[in-house]
Amino acid sequence: MRSLNKNILFGLYNDETELLGAISKAKKAHLDIFDVYTPFPVHGLDPLLGLEESRLHQAGFVFGLTGTLTAFGFMSWAFVKDWPIIFGGKPHWPAPSFIPVTFELTVLFAAIGMVVSFYTVCGMGPGIKNPTLDDRITDDKFCIAFDTSGLNSNELDEINSFLANTGASEIHTKYI
Amino acid sequence: MGAYVSPVREPLIIGNKTYHQITEDICSPTEKTPTKQFVIGFILAATFLALYVFSVTWTVWVGIGSWNLNRTIGWGWDITNFVWWVGIGHAGTLISAILLLFRQKWRTGVNRAAEAMTIFAVICAGQFPIIHMGRVWMAIFIFPYPNTRGPLWTNFNSPLFWDVFAISTYFTVSLLFWYTGLVPDFATVRDRASGWRRKLYSNLAFGWTGSAKHWQRWESLSLVLAGLSTPLVLSVHTIVSFDFATSVIPGWHTTIFPPYFVAGAIFSGFAMVQTLMLVCRKTMKLEDYITLEHIESMNKVILLTGTIVGVAYLTELFIAWYSGYLYEQFAFYNRVFGPYWWSYFGMMGCNVISPQIFWVKKFRRSIFITFFMSIFINIGMWFERFVIIATTLARDYLPSSWSYYSPTWVEICLFLGSLGLFFTCFLIFARFAPVVAIAEIKSILKTAGDNYIGPNAVHAPHHDTHSVEEDNHSHH
Amino acid sequence: MNQFVFEGKQKNVLFGLMALGVVCMLLTWFQDDVYHTRFWTNFLHNSFFFTGIAFISLFLYCGKVLMYSGWHTVFKRVWEASAQFLSVGLILLAVIVGGVYFGYHHLYHWADANSVANDELLQHKSKFLNKGWFLLATLGFGGVWYFWARKMRSISLDQDKHGDSTYSYYKLAKKWGAIFLPIAGFSSAAFIWQLIMSLDAHWYSTLFAWYATVSLLVSLLAFTILLLVYLKSKGYYHQVTIEHLHDLGKYLFAFSIFWTYLWFSQFMLIWYGNVGEETTYFKTRMEEYPINFWANFAMNFILPFFILLRNDTKRKYGSLVFISIIVLLGHWLDFFQMIKPGARHTAHELIEASANHHSSNLESDVKKVLISNTEPTKTIVSEEVKPEEHKAEEVKVGETHATANHAENAHMESANHDGAEAGHEGHHTPEFKVGFNIPGLLDLGTFVGFGAMFVFFLFIQLSKAPLVPINDPYLEESLHHHV
Repeated sequence: MRSLNKNILFGLYNDETELLGAISKAKKAHLDIFDVYTPFPVHGLDPLLGLEESRLHQAGFVFGLTGTLTAFGFMSWAFVKDWPIIFGGKPHWPAPSFIPVTFELTVLFAAIGMVVSFYTVCGMGPGIKNPTLDDRITDDKFCIAFDTSGLNSNELDEINSFLANTGASEIHTKYI
Repeated sequence: MGAYVSPVREPLIIGNKTYHQITEDICSPTEKTPTKQFVIGFILAATFLALYVFSVTWTVWVGIGSWNLNRTIGWGWDITNFVWWVGIGHAGTLISAILLLFRQKWRTGVNRAAEAMTIFAVICAGQFPIIHMGRVWMAIFIFPYPNTRGPLWTNFNSPLFWDVFAISTYFTVSLLFWYTGLVPDFATVRDRASGWRRKLYSNLAFGWTGSAKHWQRWESLSLVLAGLSTPLVLSVHTIVSFDFATSVIPGWHTTIFPPYFVAGAIFSGFAMVQTLMLVCRKTMKLEDYITLEHIESMNKVILLTGTIVGVAYLTELFIAWYSGYLYEQFAFYNRVFGPYWWSYFGMMGCNVISPQIFWVKKFRRSIFITFFMSIFINIGMWFERFVIIATTLARDYLPSSWSYYSPTWVEICLFLGSLGLFFTCFLIFARFAPVVAIAEIKSILKTAGDNYIGPNAVHAPHHDTHSVEEDNHSHH
Repeated sequence: MNQFVFEGKQKNVLFGLMALGVVCMLLTWFQDDVYHTRFWTNFLHNSFFFTGIAFISLFLYCGKVLMYSGWHTVFKRVWEASAQFLSVGLILLAVIVGGVYFGYHHLYHWADANSVANDELLQHKSKFLNKGWFLLATLGFGGVWYFWARKMRSISLDQDKHGDSTYSYYKLAKKWGAIFLPIAGFSSAAFIWQLIMSLDAHWYSTLFAWYATVSLLVSLLAFTILLLVYLKSKGYYHQVTIEHLHDLGKYLFAFSIFWTYLWFSQFMLIWYGNVGEETTYFKTRMEEYPINFWANFAMNFILPFFILLRNDTKRKYGSLVFISIIVLLGHWLDFFQMIKPGARHTAHELIEASANHHSSNLESDVKKVLISNTEPTKTIVSEEVKPEEHKAEEVKVGETHATANHAENAHMESANHDGAEAGHEGHHTPEFKVGFNIPGLLDLGTFVGFGAMFVFFLFIQLSKAPLVPINDPYLEESLHHHV
């Protein structure tokens, strides 16, 4: 298991509405949220946390373009330059015939590239075990986590009371 | 997506669920000892799988001379099975991708199982062209690589070569899409498990934590993969149709083939989804997630695609006459009234005429009729491919080479065996993975659960969620 | 402002544009060939285009009802109103079918008795392509569609008036919508075959009807975006937000790709099969109408694909309006290139025939053999084949089809490679002519005139009912639509 070497103070909420409300309040109180964990993608969470839009789709475009050029370029090279043969009365460069494979490779490159990028940037993959805060986060609990490393007791109290006041049903600490 | 839900929408999750209840309901089948029904089903499927292994071995050992293919009928049950399985493999991606585009929320109840079905159907499909080669070890020659024949490449003009890329890309992308969707749900199962199961699902879950940033990327990835899969799913059956339509054989060379094959694929795929889901919901007690509303929606898609396929059949017949091209006219006359007339009427009866009973709401919502019809349609779609392949090849330009074809036991066993392969895979999946997408179901609970919408709603339709929505609006 | 008011100023502008259209049509008429081919093709082209858009808006409207679609509800009145144009469309179609019936114009090869008498293929097709069926079916289909357009709208207006607490109007709309879909599926195909595909009377393609239908659908989406942006700029439809336009942008993007898919499927299969009877369609267009051919592809695929690929371009008025104008013009051009070559060929042949009574032509002879297949040793010798085809001059009947194709293939290949001489089916290449090879100012003016008429009629219909259907059960969902 990987370790983050962090002391985490976290609160568990029972509902995404409470979670979103709490995050808004944390923003107003200028509390520095370490991370938020939810059992499903909560609508409206990203703008609230100020997460920048993912650039995965831009990467996907580049991967796809690579596929397009690879497929079309390779087939053109093979048929025009490397070994020109006339098949079925078609010209040496039968462009319409290249479209299907070019399309398939565009999609294939884009998909594989994006999936690999996704797992890489998320630090996930086969055999990787990342530390988790609570087993119920993948079930029905919504979690706001604060990194308490280097905080003094006043700041800790502030976070504790924030969690309690915003309706967290449970408050725990964990070293991950 | 708006948080307001129209009062005419029926709930898609019934039984007054909480988030925890959803986890409980969907995970528990993977946690209990297998039921008797499951064991019997698995043994049955495995038996057919053994039959498949046996008949493949037989075919390779004896050669494809053990089949009844002949001089003009070079494609028989093998390619019929291939096209049939590829077609079935279309529903999963359609449900996850195209229905996402059309905002059909009911897809969340069935998309996981449908995607799994897609993958297994494509596995079945991909085997037939290879078995058809007879010398299966020659299969590597379909890939373009510098080889011992000198720098002589594959024929990039050949639709059969396009098929290699279409099927393998489709398989890969569907697998990636499906598995990425499964990762958070495997994490859910992991966090409930202990012992060796915890280890197993820890590995399967790839280290998922549920972090907000990960969800954001996950959604972005899913959306783009759905966007890519939409044209991909169209392209695959289109390229399969090119195998026929690029030729100049009357009855095959017709421009409507691409969209008509795609419509047929969706049609048969939905029928197979119905067959599987009706069994799953019964045996795994998922009636609250795969409701009558889901079944009715799928029946509507079946009715629609069945009718599209019907329009295509009649278009073909009409244009064959209209073309004034004698051979084209004969090809279609032969389809309807030739020696294989029974398969044409089987196809018309099962695919176009019988689905019309779904105009009646009572039938659309009847489990028995739906199950019966789903089998019927699968048979009909198998006939369609057989009609296209065998009847056309049996009557070519030279009357002296006209012949008739009926399969040997090996070919029949290959087909039945491939069903075994399919169901074995599906049962393993249903045993180890959540068959309904847990996270996705949870994310629609408040807009589709019967405790939130519909006549039995406990709360007034979404007060709180809506006010949050409004807040977000102002943040934009 | 939930009530659209058709202002005098708007009326005047639209009247002005319609007058421009009339002037353009008159000018076209007087500069035309003896059969007024340019005038009549323009008339057919624009009538079909706008009637088609009206039809497809009804089709999409019914489809949306059945798909449980909620997001579009706020502006569904626009599609209700555009579907009502079918009434004007019926009149326009009546002019076309009347023209065929009484012989005012010579758009259709199959409607010319002399041509049919000498052409066995046309005789064969005359069971479908005849004046009686053309008249009955065109007006019959149009009439049925118009009936449905009125029906769907009256259900929607009744819902407004009487409320819908029991959802009875909603259910009624679903019922009528469901019945319409299969009717529309069958009738639109036949409608497109007889009005458009039969202009190239010898040619056929099973995909053609679906291809043309999707072309209309994309036109409708582009038109809807333009109209909504205009109405918003006039202060109407404040409820229609960028979220709705974003969705329309997605539809425009998706269906532009779908259109390309159908375009490619039809083109590729015909290119690949290389059967002379089929390739003649694209050969003519690629060689004699190359600007149309490639502009069609660029405007309807390349530009919408690259512009709408990004998310933000679907959320900005500027880029949406720009691409909608391109796409709307692009699909108008698509129909232009479906219609003009065939009708021009017919006129060309008629003029040639009346000039020198020259009736033999390779194609019809080949067809004659193919159809009748009675004289076993008939040999075809054509004086018009090109040098490369000399080896294919003598064709025995047993191999007629295959070898005759070779002749035409060789034809296509040679033409493809040299790119110089074209001449299909033994005819000379018609010279490059504005109004046929590319749309000229007069054709664009006619388009503007017809477009103004379409908008005029749409505005009248729009002003007759509230803009937002207040009692639609999906309205709240639509008002809170968020992509």
